[in-house]
Amino acid sequence: MGAILAQVAVSGILLGGVYALISIGLTLIFGVLRVINFAHGEFLMIAMYASFWLFSLYGVDPYGSIVLVVALLFVVGLIVQFLVIRPILKASASMQIAATVGLSTLLQNLALVTMTANYRSVNTPLSKAVISAGPLLLGVSRLVAFLVALAITGLLFLFLQRTYLGKAIRCTAQDRTAALLMGINIDRVYLLTFAIGSALVGVAGALLMPLYPVFPTVGTYFVLAAFVVVVLGGLGNLTGALLGGFIIGLVEAFSGFYVPELKEAVYFVVFIIVLLIRPTGLFGVVGAEEVGLK
Amino acid sequence: MSVTIRSEGSMFSAYRFIPRSSLYVLAGLAVLGAVIAFTVKDKFYLHVLIMMLFYASISSAWNIVGGFAGQLSLGHAAFFGIGAYTSTLLFINLGVSPWIGMVIGGALATLVAGAIGYPSFRLRGPFFTLVTIAFAEVLRILTLYAHDFTKGSIGISVPFRPAVGNFIFRQVSAYVYVALAFLAITVLVSLWIENSRLGYYLAAIREDEDAAQALGIDAARYKLVAVLISGFLTALGGTFYAQYIFYIEPFQTFSLDFSVLLAMMAIIGGLGTVWGPVAGAFLVTPLQELLQAQLGGELQGLHLVVYGTVLIVVVILLPQGIIPSIAAWGKRTFGQREARPAASPKGDA
Repeated sequence: MGAILAQVAVSGILLGGVYALISIGLTLIFGVLRVINFAHGEFLMIAMYASFWLFSLYGVDPYGSIVLVVALLFVVGLIVQFLVIRPILKASASMQIAATVGLSTLLQNLALVTMTANYRSVNTPLSKAVISAGPLLLGVSRLVAFLVALAITGLLFLFLQRTYLGKAIRCTAQDRTAALLMGINIDRVYLLTFAIGSALVGVAGALLMPLYPVFPTVGTYFVLAAFVVVVLGGLGNLTGALLGGFIIGLVEAFSGFYVPELKEAVYFVVFIIVLLIRPTGLFGVVGAEEVGLK
Repeated sequence: MSVTIRSEGSMFSAYRFIPRSSLYVLAGLAVLGAVIAFTVKDKFYLHVLIMMLFYASISSAWNIVGGFAGQLSLGHAAFFGIGAYTSTLLFINLGVSPWIGMVIGGALATLVAGAIGYPSFRLRGPFFTLVTIAFAEVLRILTLYAHDFTKGSIGISVPFRPAVGNFIFRQVSAYVYVALAFLAITVLVSLWIENSRLGYYLAAIREDEDAAQALGIDAARYKLVAVLISGFLTALGGTFYAQYIFYIEPFQTFSLDFSVLLAMMAIIGGLGTVWGPVAGAFLVTPLQELLQAQLGGELQGLHLVVYGTVLIVVVILLPQGIIPSIAAWGKRTFGQREARPAASPKGDA
């Protein structure tokens, strides 16, 4: 029994890495722009389709396609920020939600019209490979997704800490007006932050392709989990998103083991409880959602 | 006749709350709908009409929370599903008339609305929206889980036993009249709210919750009242849907897409106005039904591509929605024409 529980825990943590990767882009965008992108899941869907077509048309391995997919999503992010997000930055929360929900509906059904509702998956030599570490079995794809998630988060931290642009992003997140007064081009920071957040979900899409099939509503499934993760970690909190990802991964793995049919209900209930008791998230300092990136 | 004088007194108090012009619009719609139902025999056009009235009603019900109180719920499918499942299960298992089941479902949805609303209204903006989504998802998963009771993902078919008492009619036109009555109720409730103290409180909360609190408005309480009314009316729509479509299943009735659709119609038409959701539903529904009928399964989802685009464009270009924009345009153009001769020193006399 101990070995089984350890196996469940390991699967949960590996799954959590993927959730973390999807959530980090979402939380970065929220932290800086103060907009929740309800279409974030659809960006993941676009990334997965891109990865899928690169594989089936040109034989590019999903891991090899990461660079291309990330570049594509960066551009998607630029376009969406320019056309949809920028005009609504000063609108009320309701209107911001409405616009990104509209974008989500648009992209999801555009995929339905052009790609049909069929589930598509790729088969690479690695996608089914398993390595054993003592009594534990680790899926190679999951392990890769987990390690890349950690590496990307680390890189993002370095980027935010060390580079000029990273500092400008953090500064904007903390205080828009002060950033403006320091001569930071806020418009450009917003544009690049949104594109970077979208590019991060591009990484997630390419890493998920060997693990999950892609279909037009695949984003909804992952983005609801990502919302839970992001709120759990404190909106705008990157470390929180990483830890939140692991927590939700573990919650999902264990509830899937004990109450498989109620798996999703369990993490939604966790989500509701966290929101009602600590709306700033488990690791969020009170008022963190006002201060931004930690 | 002395009795009529008394009733005139009560009419007067209703008139105080509800502007006469809106009542004329409502009466006009009712007459128009009834005439169409009486003359048009084509089943498809009647169906489109019914769906227009149905969506207008539920979007109006959503608008009480989403518009008047300014709390963007994307979990109204929960109330809708409760209404649909309660009346249908009572009808199938215990033979309870759906008319009664509808009221029970409404009461149940009101209870759930209170249970959801009371804790969630402390949250603002996106946090509130996320928690409403989570509640609806939990209800959907529980409905799937309790498959012995709800038949899970197989769904429930309502047996076709036409009778007025069963809320099942052989003639499609009968559904038009029921939908008209439903729309009249939701619009009257909206009109009453808009022009009552509750409506003013809700408007104050929507514009600036902190300021409203500072003025002594118990924001949590009035938001709660709004969600109770909204949940009840939305559940009535659930029963109507089950009785008209004859089939319910959890993925459709509890879906996030359905909640989004209600919000979308209200926002396109004009958030927080009485006629906005009605106009939004009247614009959007025919498009949906026509595209679905024309293209069938071929380009499934095309209407939603159009909806999504329209929603984004409306939010960016006409954030107040279509009805208030038209009203403002009308005031600008016609207002000036009237004002000019009066303002000019040389009149045309």
